[in-house]
Amino acid sequence: MLISLNWIREFVDLPADLSAEELAERFTLVCAEVEGVEAIEVGASGLICAEILTIESIPGTRDLSAATLNVGSGSVDTMTAAPNLKAGDRVIYAPSGASVKALGTIADSTVADRPSSGMILPGDALGVAMAAREAIFLPPSIEPGTQLDPSSFDDWVVEVDNHSINHRPDLWGHYGIAREFAAIFNTPLKPYPVEPIEHLQDDALPEIPIEIDDADACPRYSAIMMKGVASQPAPLWMQLRLGHVGLRPIDGLVDLTNYIMLELGQPMHAFDGDMIDRIEVGTVTAGTKFTTLDNIERTLPDGALMITSNRRPVALAGIMGGLDTEISDTTQTMLLESANFHPHTIRKCAGFLSHRTDASARFEKSLDPAHTVLAIQRFVCLARNEYKQFKLAGRLSDAYPKPLPEISVMIDPAFVAKFMGHPVTRERITEILTALEFDVTDAGNSMQVRVPSFRATRDIEIEADIIEEVARYVGYNNIEPDYPEVVVRALEPNPQQQIERAALRVMVQGLGMTEVHDYIWYNTEWCNKIGYDPSDCLTLRNPAAAGMERLRQSLLPGLLRAANLNRYNFNEFKLVELGSAFPRTGDEHIERQRIAVVSATRSKTAEDQRLSDLKGAIETWAWQVVSRPVTFAAASPDASRPWEHSAKTAIVRIDGRDVGRISAVPLALRQRIDEHLAAWSMVWAEIDLVSLAGLDEQVSKLPPVPAFPEVDLDFSVLVDANRHYADICEEIARFNDALLRRVSFVDSYEGKSLPAGKRALTFRTRIGDTTRTLEDTHLVHFRQAFQSHIEAAGMELRTG
Amino acid sequence: MDLDKLQNQLSTLRAETTTAIAGVVTMDELRRLESQTTGKTGALGAWMATIKEFPPEQRGQVGKTLNQAKGELTKLFKDAGEKIKAGAAAAEASKASSYDPTLPGIRPPVGSFHPVTLVQLQVEAVFQRLGFLIETGPEMESEHYNFEALNIPKLHPARDMQDTFWLTNGKLLRTHTSPVQVRAMERHGTPLRVIAPGRCFRYETIDASHENTFHQVEGLMIDRNISIANLIAMMKLLLREVFSQELSIRLRPGYFPFVEPGFEMDMSCLICGGGGCATCKQSGWIEILPCGMVHPNVLRAGNIDPHEFTGFAFGLGLTRLAMMKYGVADIRGLNSGDLRALVPAGRISGTTVAEKPPC
Repeated sequence: MLISLNWIREFVDLPADLSAEELAERFTLVCAEVEGVEAIEVGASGLICAEILTIESIPGTRDLSAATLNVGSGSVDTMTAAPNLKAGDRVIYAPSGASVKALGTIADSTVADRPSSGMILPGDALGVAMAAREAIFLPPSIEPGTQLDPSSFDDWVVEVDNHSINHRPDLWGHYGIAREFAAIFNTPLKPYPVEPIEHLQDDALPEIPIEIDDADACPRYSAIMMKGVASQPAPLWMQLRLGHVGLRPIDGLVDLTNYIMLELGQPMHAFDGDMIDRIEVGTVTAGTKFTTLDNIERTLPDGALMITSNRRPVALAGIMGGLDTEISDTTQTMLLESANFHPHTIRKCAGFLSHRTDASARFEKSLDPAHTVLAIQRFVCLARNEYKQFKLAGRLSDAYPKPLPEISVMIDPAFVAKFMGHPVTRERITEILTALEFDVTDAGNSMQVRVPSFRATRDIEIEADIIEEVARYVGYNNIEPDYPEVVVRALEPNPQQQIERAALRVMVQGLGMTEVHDYIWYNTEWCNKIGYDPSDCLTLRNPAAAGMERLRQSLLPGLLRAANLNRYNFNEFKLVELGSAFPRTGDEHIERQRIAVVSATRSKTAEDQRLSDLKGAIETWAWQVVSRPVTFAAASPDASRPWEHSAKTAIVRIDGRDVGRISAVPLALRQRIDEHLAAWSMVWAEIDLVSLAGLDEQVSKLPPVPAFPEVDLDFSVLVDANRHYADICEEIARFNDALLRRVSFVDSYEGKSLPAGKRALTFRTRIGDTTRTLEDTHLVHFRQAFQSHIEAAGMELRTG
Repeated sequence: MDLDKLQNQLSTLRAETTTAIAGVVTMDELRRLESQTTGKTGALGAWMATIKEFPPEQRGQVGKTLNQAKGELTKLFKDAGEKIKAGAAAAEASKASSYDPTLPGIRPPVGSFHPVTLVQLQVEAVFQRLGFLIETGPEMESEHYNFEALNIPKLHPARDMQDTFWLTNGKLLRTHTSPVQVRAMERHGTPLRVIAPGRCFRYETIDASHENTFHQVEGLMIDRNISIANLIAMMKLLLREVFSQELSIRLRPGYFPFVEPGFEMDMSCLICGGGGCATCKQSGWIEILPCGMVHPNVLRAGNIDPHEFTGFAFGLGLTRLAMMKYGVADIRGLNSGDLRALVPAGRISGTTVAEKPPC
């Protein structure tokens, strides 16, 4: 929202020694963020009012016209590029020798072979950027030849961040901003200049009947009929202020309502008074059609709030008036509407129609119902000065079926000081609140604070709201920082958080993985590329883009995409991601934190080695993170997940739970992604962290170091090649011998030296006796016992 | 056997051994020769075994003679051994003089955290030192925790501001980490000190400085007498620890429905030191830390009596912090999975010789 400091100065005396930037800084620290400050420097000198006597366009030129002007002292001929001029218009004219900063000193010249004396100034040279090439029109009260006050053209404009005043409807007008400035500088705020209310209540004049169907949607509706507001330009100062804050001056009446909207925050609408003799406010059913004054036929949603007259729609409440009842040049009487609407009703309808107007944006903020009448009083006050023929044609109609409840808050000055952590006296509290037009009375130890209506619609409700008012005027930066005193409590740590940190730390710092992040939704295009059907996923109603609606059930598709991206730049990498996945469980999708790894290298033949390494990494990881061993159980590959290898997929099992899967990316998928990936080995693992959270620590004891030496004996067990390690382990684990301390796995070997269809698994036994050194006979006996066990289990020992 | 003959033979052995040693180059050969000469099965050993063949009165003299010979021979071998070792050491030293001691090492593969994780871990460490618990909450959140419990009722315009991603199951992707405030209050009661880092989502168009997926850390402290002065002290501490330097800060009004009063905390611009530059839009200040005193309605939603307890809350943008700290110019790199955008080249592989950033 743009704020004109000229306009503010009408209501409050700002310190002359502070620059606009310094004023803005003070405002930022006490009230709301200022995003920028801009000087409007027109540098006008010698400008006068000129009346157009004749105007004709020059054939053969695109937009030039020749005009004869009455400049008071006589007539001059000038050439102009300003559009839409007609005889009788009064414009801003720079005679030869006058100047503005944007154009320099104006001299007589020749344009299109014609003499051109002086210049009709365009709006953009006069600080009204929105007007561009158009002239600024002056009202009939300014006589041709009148010197225009050069100072009124210059101004400072401050841009207040809209987000920071969304909760403050009072700050959507200059008067509300001026109130804050008055409090900041502790100077009086001038009373708002309005027509006395009694002048609007002449019983001799007729009243427009107003019927409100839904008082919640329209708490107040005020209107008054007036005459003599013929079409004419608004006063120059008003047009300039509107121009400075980014509005294009249009016509006296429109400018006047816009001016009051920007001053008080209250939107108003003018109907052609001859076409309306009563007002109803009610909702319409879906599909109702209505043409707004921008000449667009709109189809309204159910519950749209309409202004009707004798049940004929005349305006879309709070958004825009209707075309049929618009003011025209021939309008004799005008009905001025100033109403209060329910913010959500207006927001919903404007949102549905995608038609957010300056008016609807303000109604969304919860406007003060007291402003409906105040705005009319202001309008009459300003209109009387501008329109010679102005008179009221009716008395004020004011339906106020749902008065705003008065808000009164009790505050405890001791608590205010304690809450701030900064001393503040009752007197200072009273001073601050009074400056902001709160009404403060003592109530014993407490104080009763009555909230002014312009702060009572949403903004201020409770003691903390009042403390904010006090604290920001005490000055947040005057509060001395002070560390809190704390009570020690041993809170129960969050097991999920703990496992996530440990899981990632070990992967990255212990196992050399590089962490990446992906979006939590699939890229459907990529899913198609890898042949994965994501249709079972939980979906977003409003995805960031088409194809981004499915929430991931696995981190693998994203990691594969990252792997395919990085293989252009690296020959080897290990990626890890920790994040949420949303797998289906029964009828619903649940959020699970997962950790997943892709390990890749540019080598066709490294797959099994890479997979062994990854399994080893997962085993080490599990010891570090949950102090437990891992087993890998045979899994039937899930055909819906193309990244699972048909033969190499295993279930990762920890503490008897299936916590994840590990596999190699099959050649079929690698080729499908890109034929270059055929030359790569890629393996992966994905582990669910939720099922590991909260496991207790398994302590590995440290027994005494053996007093007598222990010996390692290796055994190679010859088995059918298709028998799984897991089965054989079970058999071997069953072997018992008094000397046996531990059996560990060494390797698995397949090769030409073995019989066809066989492979050899080598196990290492550690044997020892706690009472003596082993002798050869012990070893021989142990060897025989182990061999018998193996043979009894239908396997044989490989010899030699 | 007589003593003279023995002595003759010993002389011969000494002479032969001296000659043999002269031809030996390595310690292994020397040890073998020594074993053959003075060992149990060597020449001297064999004579030692014949000692009982001498008449008893001569045996003492024979033993003495043999021991003397053994001593002499052992010394020959020892001296020869020292010579070989000295020669080898000299040769090794000479050869090693061509070694370049300034060569870098060969690095084992090393992992690396995502830049956002790095700043997250740093912030967590700061707060753990201050006795804050680290909490988590779901990314798929309910309207209750994301909005209602945070004093953002159904018709509140802030719900428009939030630009929410909605799910077909009626839930939403949390728009901030603030839902963890009420979850933590419910879980732990009072007094409470907790932070909650995590991923958040806003429906907005992505460009170099805007993401729809980003990380924040929420902070919350509740106790009987928490004041604005406490909030300022703690936020100042946070910024000092995170940026490892004493910073000027300022507090100004800000509006968030779940705090009252709400603040924006600015810190002096790190680039220009407060003088004004493009980064701080010439203001000298960087908006860094939205915060405020917890709204009584939020305390109530967490079953805490606002007459008894007060608290402060803040939200720090971890993604933004990571971008500031690591000079990330384009936010899109952070979720790209492209290691070139995530890891400094020097960390990935190869020892850096020189960095020549593009101008």
